[in-house]
Amino acid sequence: MIYDKNNLPEEIKNLPASAFESLHQEDIKDEKFKTKPVGFFKDAMIRLSKSRLSIISGAIILLIVLLAIIVPNITGYSYTEQNVEQQNLPPKIPGLEKLGIFDGTRVLTDRRKDKLDDTDRYPEGCILAVTNERIVKNVTMCDVKVDYYKYCGVAEGEYHWLGTDYLGRDQLTRLFRGARISLIIAAVTVVVNIVIGVIYGAVSGYCGGKVDIFMTHLAEVLDGMPYVVVTILFMLVFGAGMFSIILAMTVTGWIGTSRLIRAQFYRFKGREYVLAARTLGVPDRTLIFRHILPNCIGPLITRAMIAVPGAIFSESFLAYIGLGIAPPEPSIGILLSDGQSVLLQYPYQVIFPAILISALMVAFNLFSNGLRDALDPTKRGEE
Amino acid sequence: MLKYILSRIAAMLITLFLIMSLSFIVVRLMPMSLFENPEVPLEIQEQLEDKFHLNDPLPVQYFYFITDIVTDLDFGISVKLRPGLPVFGILIERLPPTILVNFLSLFISIPLGLIAGTAAALKRNTWVDHVISFFVVIFISVPSFVFASALQYFLAFKLGWFPTLYDTNAATLAEKFHSLILPIIALALGPIATIARYLRGELIENISSEYLLLARTKGLTKVQSIVRHAFRNSLIPISNTLIAMITGIMGGSLVIENIFAIPGQGGLTVKSIMAGDHFLTVACLIFYSVTSLVTILLVDLSYGLIDPRVRVGGKKS
Amino acid sequence: MGSEYMNNEVILSVKDLRINFRAYGGLVRAVRGIDFDLHRGETLAIVGESGSGKSVSIKAIMGILANNAIIESGEILYDGMDLTKVHEDDFHRIRGKRIGLIFQDPLSALNPIMKIGHQITEVLRLNDKMNKQDARAKALELMNAVGIPDAERRFEQYPFQFSGGMRQRIVIAIALAGNPEILICDEPTTALDVTVQAKILELINQIKKERNLSVIFITHDLGVVANMADRVNVMYAGKIVETGTSEEIFFEPAHPYTWALLSSMPDLHTKERLLAIPGTPPNMIFPPKGDAFAPRNQFAMRIDYEQEPPMFKISDTHAAATWLLHPQAEANGIKMPEALKARIDRMKGSEVQNG
Repeated sequence: MIYDKNNLPEEIKNLPASAFESLHQEDIKDEKFKTKPVGFFKDAMIRLSKSRLSIISGAIILLIVLLAIIVPNITGYSYTEQNVEQQNLPPKIPGLEKLGIFDGTRVLTDRRKDKLDDTDRYPEGCILAVTNERIVKNVTMCDVKVDYYKYCGVAEGEYHWLGTDYLGRDQLTRLFRGARISLIIAAVTVVVNIVIGVIYGAVSGYCGGKVDIFMTHLAEVLDGMPYVVVTILFMLVFGAGMFSIILAMTVTGWIGTSRLIRAQFYRFKGREYVLAARTLGVPDRTLIFRHILPNCIGPLITRAMIAVPGAIFSESFLAYIGLGIAPPEPSIGILLSDGQSVLLQYPYQVIFPAILISALMVAFNLFSNGLRDALDPTKRGEE
Repeated sequence: MLKYILSRIAAMLITLFLIMSLSFIVVRLMPMSLFENPEVPLEIQEQLEDKFHLNDPLPVQYFYFITDIVTDLDFGISVKLRPGLPVFGILIERLPPTILVNFLSLFISIPLGLIAGTAAALKRNTWVDHVISFFVVIFISVPSFVFASALQYFLAFKLGWFPTLYDTNAATLAEKFHSLILPIIALALGPIATIARYLRGELIENISSEYLLLARTKGLTKVQSIVRHAFRNSLIPISNTLIAMITGIMGGSLVIENIFAIPGQGGLTVKSIMAGDHFLTVACLIFYSVTSLVTILLVDLSYGLIDPRVRVGGKKS
Repeated sequence: MGSEYMNNEVILSVKDLRINFRAYGGLVRAVRGIDFDLHRGETLAIVGESGSGKSVSIKAIMGILANNAIIESGEILYDGMDLTKVHEDDFHRIRGKRIGLIFQDPLSALNPIMKIGHQITEVLRLNDKMNKQDARAKALELMNAVGIPDAERRFEQYPFQFSGGMRQRIVIAIALAGNPEILICDEPTTALDVTVQAKILELINQIKKERNLSVIFITHDLGVVANMADRVNVMYAGKIVETGTSEEIFFEPAHPYTWALLSSMPDLHTKERLLAIPGTPPNMIFPPKGDAFAPRNQFAMRIDYEQEPPMFKISDTHAAATWLLHPQAEANGIKMPEALKARIDRMKGSEVQNG
């Protein structure tokens, strides 16, 4: 609506004179920034804590680590203790057994009914139910549900929460002992890879020139070698054992990190203020440790976190093909592969390590994703 | 361009050579018990000694080792698994099932992964996206052999839908295929998830790009602009992830073949490692290296061809 | 100059357009009721700061508003249609063919891995079903028209092989490919070097004349307006605060915001400090009562904080939404600042000199 000055509608034709007095807001200033600046890591931690997924996965990791430290020591069984009479016991957990799960029972199939009264074969009180009676060749056969613990003559009150394996070793103890081993191997591998990578990349990036070209080509060739092949070859040479596994996984694992560090050096070297600083006499040492390396910490931490599940995977993969650590020491991979051979009969021997490794891998992946997003410098200040 | 190709091939050959040398060291470092092992029949021992010139100095042995492989494809003789037989022959015999499984697995994982990634990107932040992303995380994190065990137990054993092991005596092709389905699925899950995740990320970024807006403003329909611009641009970085996928499959199939008793090259590798039949193991490993290196080379080259910025950029005046 | 097209037919008419955005903090009222007409053959400039609603308005015309945008009310009348009611599935017939858009940043606006020849001919071949040779011929003709040398060879090249100015020419060629009758330019020179800007503006003027186009030109730079526009709409906080021919806006500005804009342009002769407009545009989730510009307006009156000013007519082509034009306001003697008046006189003088 465009109003003609001479033809105004009633409501605005006659307004009080005071309405037209000057009313100028003095001292309009640009808005003051009310928030304090937040440091990079603090900012990252805030962002990380806002992601529910990251918190949950971080908690899971922490939980598993704690369990790995504590559980093998408190179960009362050792991870090597063998008891052949107690082989392949099903899981039995106090408390839960009342609910009908984890109650240490098992169904024995194709048993002769007439033998059920034989207390040598079926100790007192172990038969819980008899089903599926049928006549085969004039003999009555049936399936028997037994309290397997009683059946094997296990003392009352002795529980194996996750059952036992073919040598009667307690699975709960072995599981978390295995978790401990797997985590240690993964952690050491990752740390070693990072250390080597940082040093290699720093030297390569700092020196530049022929040294750099040579080192980069060398890394490239090494990188070209298929990981599986290299690890297997190394394992063949050095035999089983924690040391060899770690060694095998660190042969090529450091290359990614070295590239990252080298790139940082190059990016940095091109800056003018470096030249200026140098001219002023600032020693290179200071430049390296004060400026370049701190910038790398974020991506390094993320890389480390992402590398852990990879290491766990490699270790379990090697275990599956018979190149794991030496028995009787367990690792998650060894438990999986041992259980695989009896999967169809005693699935619980696979289920628990499978759940554990799945939980670990998923949690680590989610957490490192969250960490990467949190440490991403382009996201600073995002809610 | 040509220079680029040649340099990549050269790099590949160097790496291969390195691996062969490493293998030589491995074989030689194995305790001589291989040859002094009383279990090994005398004729074989003599054959081996003769063949490998064990009485000659190391460098000579090395020379023969390399030349034997390169010229005759002679990797030696199996000692433990199939005593007396030439390794190479054993290897070739076991190739078809492995190739079949790997190929079929890739064949289904690429389209499924593309579909899943596209669906997740187009229906971003809806339940479709969340469900797909959930499965992506699971399939990427959990190792393929865990899935293989689970599939074997639940679908084959409990439900009986599939045979638990590969049926070598299957009469028809259909039956054979039927027993291969579970291992193919187990192998494919990881790649599907990887492709889906990368495609989703790229597509989302490209869909919100300005050139997509321009495509719409010049009169393309939404579908046309997404397919011809966003999708096409997203496929370029995907070809890069194919490398990781393919080598991942090769590694994963070792264990999967073991679990499902597929008489393939992967299973052979595992058995020979466990049996300590080193010549065979080395041959398997070298073969693995060749296949993955060639694949890497091909994908590297294709990357140079697909992205015009690389292809044409090199020729810029 | 400027008013000669007013007698032509109106080809696009925006009536009381209101557009909101759903944001986390609430509903952002980006466009709060704007009206304007586009006459055939004229160049209408829309000037304003970031956040004034100028880009949102033209996105509404093209139907490319973001997903969280809601057209609350209003109409955009074009060729017997109301563009606010056209369905997305049908809009592609209008975009490119009837109304074309030139983007701000040609680097991100072009698909980096598609040959530019293909990008120009794509729509022709897909939706117009032209055959390959005809489309190519047309594209080459367009490339020549926008001043891309060596068109035959360049047809097969990729965007990264062109300079910034050349890329913008390609964007213009793409916009023209469908033979639109309206061309909307969204700050087409902001991302370019100063030396290239002038050339592109010249080009736009030239093709407008050659093809008898009507142009809507968005910018925040008044210097550009002077070169290009027949008429000008000045926008602030989602509303048009002043509209007039380019002469009227430059020589007889009536709204304090326009005064501030003109004063903040650098000028060789002023010895005074540039007048920056203090403060920031208001938060459009809670639009202020009264005149949105009042808090930053050194000529504000009490009523500016109470009631929104209506558009007051100054001439047939010139109007401004400020209470200063109310008859009762003349009594308190607020006038254009002296420095600005002097500058305007200088501009007029040089205009006369330049003939």
